[in-house]
Amino acid sequence: MEHIDNIVFGDNQFFGINHMSQEKAQQLAEQFFDIKNIFKVYQYVFDAGVNAVMLNSNDRAKEICEHFRLNSSSYPSLNWYPSIPYPHKYANLVAEKGIFPAINEVLFKDNSARKVMGMITKGSTAVLTKDAIKLMQLLIDVEMKMFIGLDIKVVFLQNIITDLILGYDQRDIFYEYCEYIRKKYKALPGLITQNMPFLKKKFQEWGIKGVVICSSYNKIGYLMSPDRDSYILATENNNPSDYQLMAMSTLASGAIPAKEAYEFINQQKLQSVVFGASSKKNIDETVGLIKI
Amino acid sequence: MLKIGIVGAGRMGITHYSIINSHPDITVSSVADPSGLILSMMKKYLSIKTYKNYQDLIKNEKPDALLVCTPPNLHFDILQKAAENNSHVFVEKPYTTDCQQSHELSRIFTSKGLVNQVGYVNRFNDVFSEVRRLVAESVIGDIIRFKSEMYSCTVVKPDEGEGWRGSRESGGGAVYEMASHAIDLVNYIVGKPDKVIGSSLNSIHSKKVEDAVSSTFVYRNGCSGTIYINWSDESYRKPTNKIELFGSKGKILADQHSYKIFCNDANQQYDYRQGWNTRFITDVFKNVPFYVRGNEFTNQLYHFVDCIQKPGLKNICSFSDGADAQDVMDKIFNDFAINGKA
Repeated sequence: MEHIDNIVFGDNQFFGINHMSQEKAQQLAEQFFDIKNIFKVYQYVFDAGVNAVMLNSNDRAKEICEHFRLNSSSYPSLNWYPSIPYPHKYANLVAEKGIFPAINEVLFKDNSARKVMGMITKGSTAVLTKDAIKLMQLLIDVEMKMFIGLDIKVVFLQNIITDLILGYDQRDIFYEYCEYIRKKYKALPGLITQNMPFLKKKFQEWGIKGVVICSSYNKIGYLMSPDRDSYILATENNNPSDYQLMAMSTLASGAIPAKEAYEFINQQKLQSVVFGASSKKNIDETVGLIKI
Repeated sequence: MLKIGIVGAGRMGITHYSIINSHPDITVSSVADPSGLILSMMKKYLSIKTYKNYQDLIKNEKPDALLVCTPPNLHFDILQKAAENNSHVFVEKPYTTDCQQSHELSRIFTSKGLVNQVGYVNRFNDVFSEVRRLVAESVIGDIIRFKSEMYSCTVVKPDEGEGWRGSRESGGGAVYEMASHAIDLVNYIVGKPDKVIGSSLNSIHSKKVEDAVSSTFVYRNGCSGTIYINWSDESYRKPTNKIELFGSKGKILADQHSYKIFCNDANQQYDYRQGWNTRFITDVFKNVPFYVRGNEFTNQLYHFVDCIQKPGLKNICSFSDGADAQDVMDKIFNDFAINGKA
């Protein structure tokens, strides 16, 4: 398996996401309302020597991708780590319309008429033959559209979807997801999960390898189901040529001071850390602290 | 192993299936839903029995327990049948659309010794359950005023009112679908109000139902408080729940992620200084065995299983609690009908 970057810059701060404080989340949303402020932060990141970017496929990400595609000569060569889908879009639609009308709306909303005709044919076949795999592939293509033309290293499935499918114990869906990402996008399949030890055990049983697993990983065990010790054990016993492990939420939304947080992280057998920050000082400090 | 049937495979049914399926003592054996498409997909990928209607599911499967996630106006009939079959029931909120029915079901299930639970998930949130404990232990003294608010960007386009969400009779509208959470949180933390006044309902995008609601709750002991819920507020990316409690010894501001407590005097037992103290979810969380959508969703279903396995364990959100929320919602509708128009 190709090695992933050991430091990846995340995107939560740009989209008003903070798991600990809604007030902080609102404040960030305001700061990054002007997209220029987002590009300014990316520049700090590149200046700190990090050339890997994780980005969720929400509406604002489209503008960000467009900018980097059009101005690629002004930037170092970048590795992209898209995460799909943008879960809230689906959550509201599914609640409002039911699952299949929601899928239809997503599939057909942002596409030109000619493409839609093609997709309807492919899509209706998928629905009529109850082919969840084909449906999934269509949805992946819709979400991935904005990243086309960028250098894609890993495509991550968001944890809400990963963990839902994991609960259903569906080997084939995961297997086909991984195959599709490898073949169509020439990228490594990635899964974000809040149940890393369980997911890794299942993937081993199912014989699905060559996958990047991204999960919360922090000293206080926040968002680490079932518990922190199971994560440490699963990491110690991991063979990185089968599964590369990436840590997120390393500061537990700010509950752990950076120095203390990375002293813990640096002792773990992890292949990568994804972190978010919005000031030059915090970016430089974090990059200096991560030693994996 | 407990055999579980799921009635209704919409968004909540699909989520609950995934969570409860992770429980080592549970087998999901069957699903009922009128959508042929959902059923055939489920049948193809999951080794379960599928039914077009709940009657056949109950008759043929005789499940130990049911998760009922259908539109609310169908709950009464389904729950009655479930009780006849002696199935324990977890039902999504709001639990019925009729006070009498909700009390009747509560009586039936209690008298038969069947576990009965309603999906007011905030009761299982780590922050809100801690806040409730603080209030119960009188850390901020007697509650004098409160505010319970919820915001989301759920309905932000004109809605013609098709489907069950479009009409109050079938359980749609911001009161049933969203305010019910804020009301239940008040019932859980402060207690059920004795009187409801000053209710107003606004339609913003929905044709036949309300998108925003506010009301004032009054208590015999002199306490009073307000609720305000708006699900057409585009400034909120995610559903947000806030509660503010003012007591004789201090004050608490809480949402799903953190709480701030102002203590008039220091409290050694809880390690609070005099003045403001902040606690984040990272200070109070307890990990769950399997996470899909927030700890509270796992906590509530695992608690349901616990109650089945340990007879005598008191349910944190029983049908009786669901009936209490229904009583308050009925009072809001009545108050608005009588006093709500200018």
